[in-house]
Amino acid sequence: MLQEAQSVVSQISGADIATAAKYIAAGICMGIGAIGPAIGEGIAAAHALDGMARQPEMEGALLRTMVLGQAITESTGIYSLLIAIVLLFVV
Amino acid sequence: MFGPLGKKLIAHVSIGGFPISFDLITIIMSWIVIALLVIFALILRRSLRQEVDEKPNRVQALLDALIDLIKSQLTSSFSSDRLARELFPFIATLFMFILASNLISVIPYFESPTKDLNVTFSFGLLVFFMSQFFAMRRKGVGKYFKGFIEPYPFMLPLNIVGELARPLSHSFRLFGNMFGGAIMLSIVYIFPFTSWVIPIGLNFFYGLFVGTIQAFVFSLLAVAYINVAVET
Amino acid sequence: MHFEWGVVVKTLNWTFIANLVNFAILLYLMKRFLYKPALAYLDRRRELIASRMEAARQSEERAEQLAAQREQELSAAREQARRTLDDARAHAEEIVNASKGTARQEGERIITEAQRQIEQEREQMKEDLRRSYAEIAVLGASRVLNREVNLSDHERLLNELLLEVDDEALRMRQ
Repeated sequence: MLQEAQSVVSQISGADIATAAKYIAAGICMGIGAIGPAIGEGIAAAHALDGMARQPEMEGALLRTMVLGQAITESTGIYSLLIAIVLLFVV
Repeated sequence: MFGPLGKKLIAHVSIGGFPISFDLITIIMSWIVIALLVIFALILRRSLRQEVDEKPNRVQALLDALIDLIKSQLTSSFSSDRLARELFPFIATLFMFILASNLISVIPYFESPTKDLNVTFSFGLLVFFMSQFFAMRRKGVGKYFKGFIEPYPFMLPLNIVGELARPLSHSFRLFGNMFGGAIMLSIVYIFPFTSWVIPIGLNFFYGLFVGTIQAFVFSLLAVAYINVAVET
Repeated sequence: MHFEWGVVVKTLNWTFIANLVNFAILLYLMKRFLYKPALAYLDRRRELIASRMEAARQSEERAEQLAAQREQELSAAREQARRTLDDARAHAEEIVNASKGTARQEGERIITEAQRQIEQEREQMKEDLRRSYAEIAVLGASRVLNREVNLSDHERLLNELLLEVDDEALRMRQ
């Protein structure tokens, strides 16, 4: 048993470790990188909803600004996606 | 369209010894989208054959609504009316192309061209170069380059990175949303216990809801980037 | 030319350029088939609507003008009628007042005339009475003086005189 395990471990090369590290890093990158934009977009949507409830006549402008702000907030998440893709496919 | 998950059909062509590779599925899909849009445009144009003083028909109402939507967004976003008028065809075409590309993924075996990074990145770079061009035309070359060392000269690298990050995030946003939707759909579809009803709802969610919002966001951001580059 | 199954995101390839070409073609086609005719059509319709709005505005303006004019005329006519009525009423009142005045005057005149006549007659009567008293006195005196007067004669004479006076008075009263 122990010898089998040792033989398996001895077959692991540096490239295998690098591949595993790539996948783990991509997963962590995407997972952590998604937290910030999610919270930020939620806050933006909540406040826009507040504003819409208070002033329904401003709904169009608020919606447009909210979507724009969320799109820009999402940039950080997009960057982490970019890094994850680079880790997975390019590195 | 025909391939396994995560694979695409690449065509390698060599022109005069120079190797060129295409993504065939993306190109065929965008041709289909273009054909659909042109048919749509012809249908819309056919409604214009009647006289001006007749009562507008339904297709004209659709055309009116579409043009009004895009035009009002443009005129409220751009500070100069001239720029809005100039950019109207570009933005409208961009919006309709991306919207049609996103919506077409609802049909089975049709993959949206916006799922391909090449497409979104070309649009992002196009918007980037257009914004720089309009900024240069508006402010003059000297003032345009001076804008990079404002407010302080040591901000130069920051400004350049900020400018360059825009097309990246712009194109990767659309790509990430569409690609992520497709991957989610594929993953749900693989497992036997989720492959019965859920993919239909998920397909509609990603195709219709996310697709529409992302098309809107992409064109809105294109407008905003050009406007910001021109104004500041 | 050969095909292979590739990974999705490998690198950017020439699809990039192909997509730009596609987009340029689409832009041209949309401009040619949709934007130009549609915008021209919408512009024409906007112009038509504007011209019709202008025409409607003008006709409305004219209608308002006409209405104002009519209103003015109507009010003038009403004013005229009112004035005429007032005039008539005033005239009538005047006439009534005048006739009332003349009637009163006439009445007063008649009354004063009658009073004057009565006064005159009374004066006349007084005069006549005085004159007849004087005559009677003169007659009585003459008779007294002309005859032998005795008591019975006196009495008879006085009675005759009284009768005469009475007759005279009766006659005069008539």
